[in-house]
This record gives sequence, C-alpha cells and structure tokens, in this order.
Amino acid sequence: MKKISRRSFIKTAASAAAVSIAAPVVLPRGWYALAGAEKPGYFEREFGISDSLCQKVLAKALSKGGDFADLYFEHTITNSLSLEDGKVNRAYSDVSLGVGIRTVKGDQVGYGFTQEMTQESMMNAASTAATIASGKAGKSAGKFTWLKMKNYYPLKKLLTSVPLESKLPLVQTANDKCFALSPQVVKVNAGFYDQQKRILVVTSDGTKAEDLQPRNYLYASVTAEKDGRRERAGWNIGGRRDFSFYTQAVVDEISKMAVDRTLILFDAVQPPAGEMPVVLGPGVSAVLLHEAIGHGMEADFNRKKLSTYSTMIGKQVAEPFVNIIDDGTMPNYLGSINVDDEGTPGQRTVLVDKGILTSYMYDKISARHYKVKSSGNGRRQSYQHYVQPRMRNTIMLAGPATPKDVIQNVKKGIYVQDVSNGQVKIGEGDFAFYVSQGKMVEDGKLTAPIKDVNIMGNGPKMLKNITMLANDFEMNEGGSGACGKGGQAVPCGFGQPTCLVKSMTVGGVKR
Amino acid sequence: MNKELYDLVAWTVKTAKSAGVAECRAGVSSERFVNISYRDHKPENIKEATTKQLGLEVFVNSRYSVQTTSDLRKNALKDFISNAIATTKLLAEDPFRTLPDPKYYKGRAKVDLGVLDPAYKKLTPEDRHNLVKAIEDAALAAGGKKVISVTAMEYDSYDELLLMTSNGFEGYQESTFYQAGAQMTVQDEGDRRPMGFDYAASVMKNAMPSPEEIGASAAKRTLSLLGGKKLKTETLPVIIENRNVSRLLGGFLAAMYGSSIQQKRSFLADKKGKKIGSKHFTIIDDPFIKGGMGSRLFDMDGFALKKRVMVDAGVLKEFFVDWYYGRKLGWEPTTGGPANLIIPPGKRSLKEIMKDLGRGILITGFIGGNSNSTTGDASIGITGELFENGELVQAVAEMNIADNHLKFWNKLVEVANDPFLYSSWRMPSLVFTDVVVSGL
Repeated sequence: MKKISRRSFIKTAASAAAVSIAAPVVLPRGWYALAGAEKPGYFEREFGISDSLCQKVLAKALSKGGDFADLYFEHTITNSLSLEDGKVNRAYSDVSLGVGIRTVKGDQVGYGFTQEMTQESMMNAASTAATIASGKAGKSAGKFTWLKMKNYYPLKKLLTSVPLESKLPLVQTANDKCFALSPQVVKVNAGFYDQQKRILVVTSDGTKAEDLQPRNYLYASVTAEKDGRRERAGWNIGGRRDFSFYTQAVVDEISKMAVDRTLILFDAVQPPAGEMPVVLGPGVSAVLLHEAIGHGMEADFNRKKLSTYSTMIGKQVAEPFVNIIDDGTMPNYLGSINVDDEGTPGQRTVLVDKGILTSYMYDKISARHYKVKSSGNGRRQSYQHYVQPRMRNTIMLAGPATPKDVIQNVKKGIYVQDVSNGQVKIGEGDFAFYVSQGKMVEDGKLTAPIKDVNIMGNGPKMLKNITMLANDFEMNEGGSGACGKGGQAVPCGFGQPTCLVKSMTVGGVKR
Repeated sequence: MNKELYDLVAWTVKTAKSAGVAECRAGVSSERFVNISYRDHKPENIKEATTKQLGLEVFVNSRYSVQTTSDLRKNALKDFISNAIATTKLLAEDPFRTLPDPKYYKGRAKVDLGVLDPAYKKLTPEDRHNLVKAIEDAALAAGGKKVISVTAMEYDSYDELLLMTSNGFEGYQESTFYQAGAQMTVQDEGDRRPMGFDYAASVMKNAMPSPEEIGASAAKRTLSLLGGKKLKTETLPVIIENRNVSRLLGGFLAAMYGSSIQQKRSFLADKKGKKIGSKHFTIIDDPFIKGGMGSRLFDMDGFALKKRVMVDAGVLKEFFVDWYYGRKLGWEPTTGGPANLIIPPGKRSLKEIMKDLGRGILITGFIGGNSNSTTGDASIGITGELFENGELVQAVAEMNIADNHLKFWNKLVEVANDPFLYSSWRMPSLVFTDVVVSGL
C-alpha cells in the first residue's frame, strides 16, 4: 500500500470530514467556550491575581536583593481516555493549580511555590525564594505591560469544552480499525490525551504574559500474534492542535501505522554488531538530532563548561550543507511556544548555519552570562520547577540529495525508521538509542527489517560525520513525546530529512 | 494520623457517595520538601515547598475513572467530584471494575517499618547548607586538577499518604526521606568531558554515609571514566555493579505484571513454575524491611501486604497481580507491584570475584537502550571498566550488550555480597558469563 508522506498527510487530514459527533456540554463555572473571544486576564478573573498583588509578592521576593524575580502562575487541566479489550472504559483527569516564585542573583536561584492562590501563601513562598540573596532590597516594577506575542496554536474551541462524547468515537474507531486491518491483531490499546495549560508570567522588570498552551494526541498500540510469536508496536499523532484536527483520516493513519509497524516485526532480524554507516530516515529519527546534538547546545551546559560545544561558537562543527534550527514558531507543533516560561516571546534560533555553530539556546540567566538576549528557550515543566534552557522544535534542514542517492551510497549498514529511549551524556557527547524499526542496507538497497537494537555514538562526531542530506524534510507528527532534563519533562518537536552518518556503533548480535 | 488530611479525604468519600457513586476510593499525598544545591562554593538553587494532591477513583454503574487535583478549595472540589461522576457515566461498562473484596484488607502486619525519622524535625537550614558544602569540598579535594565543575545537592522531605475507600479501608503512612549527592565533570583528552556522580538516599538520616564519603566517591567514580574507549566486540564475563542491576532487572519485571500478562505483552506469561534463570537467580519482595525505602503495610488497592518469593533459584513463582487484572485474568491477586525488591546477597566480594574471573568488564553505568516486555529482547549501552587478573585496566565507553531476558538470566553465575542499600531495590552486583559486548 502506498505510504502517505507526513506533509501530504497533514493536508489530507485538514480537509477531511470530522469523525466526531457534536454534542452539547455543560461547562464548569467560569470556563469559556471560545479561546479567541477571551481577553487577557484569566488569572485575575478566576483567581483574583491583580497587579497590586503581584507587586507585593515580587517586592517580597526581592526583599533581600537579587537581580530579578518572576511569578509563574499555572492552571492546567489534563484529560485522557483509554481503551482496553475493545471498550473505552477508563478516564483520567488532573487539575494542576499553583504559582512558582523565583528570585535570581547572578546564576543563583531561590525558588518557592504554593498551590494556594492566597496572598499569605504567596508571600511565604516569596520569602523562601528571597533567601538566595542577602543584601539590600531590590527594585520591582511599579506597573506591568502585557507582552505582545503571536499565536502559533490558535484554538477554535477550548479543549476543556470539547465534550467527552466527541472524543469517545475517535478512540473506539482506532480500535476497530486496527482489528479490521489484520486477523493477527490480538490486543489493541488506544486512547486520546488532551491538556490545556494556562500560564501567566509576571516579571520584576514589568512584563506580564499570558498563554494558553494546548497539547493533545491520539494513539493506538497493537499486539499481534503469528506462529506462536507476539510482537507489539504503536503510533500516535498530535501536537498543539485544535480538536477539529482529529478527523477520520488521522484515525486511519494511526491505525494503519500501528498495525503495519507491528506486523513487520515478525520478519525483523537483529543486525550484525559493529561499526557501520547508518542512514537516519526522515521525521522521527530526528530524536537523535535532539538528544545527541541539541542538548549540547543548551546554554547552561556551556556556561558551566560541561558541553563539548562550550568552546565552539563561530567554529565549523559540520559539513557546510548542514543547517540546524531550534524553532518555537512552527504552527501547531509540539515544541512551539508563544512565550517561554520567563516571559520572552517565542522565536526561531539558528544554531548551526552552513556548518558553523552560531548560537546556543538561552534562558535569561545564561543570556546575562553571555551578554546576549534570551532566545526564548527558558522553559519548565510546571510551577513546581526551575526554568532551564530547553529545546522547542529542533530541526535539520533539507539537503540537495534524493533519499535514493543516500541509500545507494551505503554498501552495508542500517536504515533507521524509528528510535526510542535515547540518552546522551552531555560532557562526553556519547549517546545510545534504541532502534525500534528499521531495515538493513545491503549494496545500496533496503533489505530485511530490523528491530530491538541499540545504536551508539558521539554527538559532535556524528554531526561531523553527516556526509549526505536528502531533500525530503519531515517533521515528527507525534504528540506524546516529552524531553527529560534535570528531572523535568517538557514537550519538544523535531524533524529532519534522510541523512547519512558515515559510521556509528550498532549493538546487534555477533555473527 | 493527620486530622486535616483525614477530614479532607473522609469529606471527599462522603461527598462522592452522596453525589451518586456506587463506590469510591480517595487518597491524598502530601510532601514538605527542601532541596539545596551548591556550585562554585555558593548556593546554586534553594527550593522549598509543600505539595498536596488529592486523588479520587469513582465506580458508577460498573464504570470507572480516576481524577487528581491540587486545587483543594472546597467549592472547586465539589465541581471536581460532580465532573468526575458525569465523565464516568459516559464511559463503557467494565464489569471487572470494583473495589476489592474487603477480605484482602484484613491481616495487615503489625510491624514497625522504621520509615519515620524522629531526627527529621530537628533538621535546620544551617545543617542542610553545611551538608552540601561538605560534599562539594570533599568532591573538589578528591577530584584534583581535572575538575571542570562540581554540583553538590541535598533533598529531604516529610511525606504523608492517606487512603480510604467507601467499603471500609483506611490506611495512613508517614515517612521521611533524605538524599545527598554530587555530580562532577572532568577534563579528558581532547574535547571529552566525562560527567559522573554519586548519591545516597535513605529514610533515616543516620543510615546516610558521611558527606565526605559521598563527595569523594562522586570524584572517584567520575575520574574512573577518564580515557573511556570502545573496545573490540568480544564475548566476555561481565559484572553489573550493584546500583545498576535495577535498570536491567526492570526490563524483566515489566513482564511480571498482571496488566502485561492480560494484555498479551509479557514474555513470562506462560512461565509460572518454570525455570527462567540460573540457580543464582532469586527475587524476593519484602515490604517489611525496617528502614526500607519501599517498606509499607498496604498497597494502593488496600491489600494487606506479605513477603513473597517471586523467583526462587531460577524458577518463576509469582506475578504482580492487582485486584483489577486478577479479576480480568480470573487469577488470585497478589499485589500490584514490588515494595522492596531483593536479590539475596552472595558470599564473596566484588574484588574476590574479579580476581577469579580473570578478564571481563565491570559495568558501572548504562546508557539508552530498551527492553521489549512482549518478546524479552533487550539492548543497552554500557560504560565501565575492563579488568584483567582482578585489576581495572581500561575505562570502557560506547559499548553495548544485547540479549533476550529468557537467555540472559541463565548466564548469571554468581551474586556478590554487596547489596546497594540506597534504593528500594536492594541489589547486589551480579556476575554473568558469555556475554557479547559489542564495540569496534
């Protein structure tokens, strides 16, 4: 069957009819049906967070000195529905409400948070944050101005006002479709996850910014049986999407991918172990770009001289046809942000330009260290967490070759379609990834499918070893991926074209 | 018992019942914590807060949902409960979803778990800062000239958990937790900057090693990464260092859960009573270890816990089956997951074993990798040290081991006498033979 490319798939999906059934819903008090009609000031309306309250709390946070302070209010509603054994019989929802208060002095951070939106609790948390400094009281802004920002993920309807009755058929249909696709399918787990995160950032330099960050995905995971053997694989599609994105075409694509990816595993072999060329397929395998290369370009690792890239700004780190960008402005992708979690607008940052390292990814603390502007990469998991420089959508741009040219260049190696469970050691640059789907490459052709093998290498070496890039750039369309760093998970996107790395260690079997 | 938490949970159960649920289970977890880190002889981060989260599971007309919230205002909670019920009513029926038969609540052990440290209340901000400073100083002193950066940290908390059901279960546990460690980056040849760390954790302060030991050990572990090389692919004996065993064992355990078995994604589903490892492979789940980090009297179903031998001398004895999957499978439930997991320690030290083995690799860290619970196939990156005649001769990096769990645990030939005590999985170092370690 013809595989739909990711880009053309999105077009198809956007124009196809919705599978969901419209139904009336009773909204909880104070929730609004249309995001577009909403004026800024959600936290003031809902929780009484006024400018004068923010001034008092910020003044407390700076009562012992410090360079600046900020408040991060969060109200997040998460829902998930899951199907097991043919029925949507489980729902989970979570409400997370709180405010984090941060005082910064140089590169030192004091942090307190509270789940109670009362002045007393906030003042206590601010006192905790203030302990990082020990001098005369610092100055806080007298008034706040709303930050001007664009919306990279507009919603026609709030996710919290999409009725359950509209979500249920998506999950049920995905299940039914998977079973219909093959008699070898014995179990399906499917589900729909959606999260609506509202944040308000108020800074001591007088900025306030409010954002509504949606996140959602539909998934199916399939177990199949053949000749007494079992295999399992899955697929998900999502991002920062309006609910209308989830059409029949999306359900069909997820089901087909989940089933195809499971069935192919019955024919898969473990490749031979050793060093060999590795072709990274477009889209999903860019998780390697994120892990092995991206993390080393986050400014905190460089400010502390932990990253191998800490002495490389302005230097050649890759072939001249390699361009790497971290982009928070790609509409509806998982890593896009209208504003980061310390009040800097979402933006696009060129990291590697024609093979030369041009910028790190900065939060405010590291930007002050390097005497540059923050690149809008200051992110955190929730109000309970510190800000760290984090990636948004990290992408490698397309090159001149065709995918066929790239594969033809390999005598013996592997082709990676999907990787999971990546890990990188920032200082050494060493990484390891689990290839869950791929193929052998023999004499310039894709041959037997492979599975369950680790590939290992070194990020900076891998970047230098990229010898070909194809013209088939794809974004990963998944919505479930989150990147972990310092005990915090944030959603990130990634994408790349077909790419040839001339040598990597494949941890297969000895032959 | 904390009256405020008790009243909140009791109110939630009562409110849910009067709003029309057939049955419900409510719980609240509360944590007061402090976290301090130092870098360059000054605090890098200071963080302190209290968190509370309320969870509610509702069972309405054989339908089920779970809700959690940190918004504990009574009015918000009323909305929260009515939304939970409205949502649940729209789901498909699931006849297996009920609260457990109360007979499983009975027989709760009457033992002192020793998980609440009376010394916790006396801990001052100054104590915490002094601890972290001492760790940093020790790490810097032991790290020497190669050090690029050291971050030392501590985390301590007082935790409470209260669980209640509408069919008569009540459970409460309070505990303390201490963690301290350091992370170090050193300059290697060329651009390489290996990062290493060490940490310790315990429920009792007096069970923690001294800050000097923690700092010095972090430095020693980091310096051991210097000159890390990829070696030729070779079949060798390997030793998995105690603290890293749980990473590998986790892949095996994933196939021992009732959910994995019922959902046909367990390579162990038909192996009960069968030999799945060598005679050295024994796993015990012991909820009652005094001062154990996973010690508890009841699980999240409310079951009164028991000590269980899960794998006995290579033979698979039991699975982790909770109430729900027990009903779905038609099996007698055990418990949903391990409390404290133990592989009983052997007699010899790591040093003695290494001397006997001659040449092999001591695995001191894993990177990336995965384990497939459906097939048992696993592949994982390693770092460690090559040893010859009992002496460490070369740091190893960028190498990999790959095998199937059903084969791998048969290669276990010895268990060392060094259980890692700073985790709820108290694992000793394990020795395996004939392992393919792939590299160049």
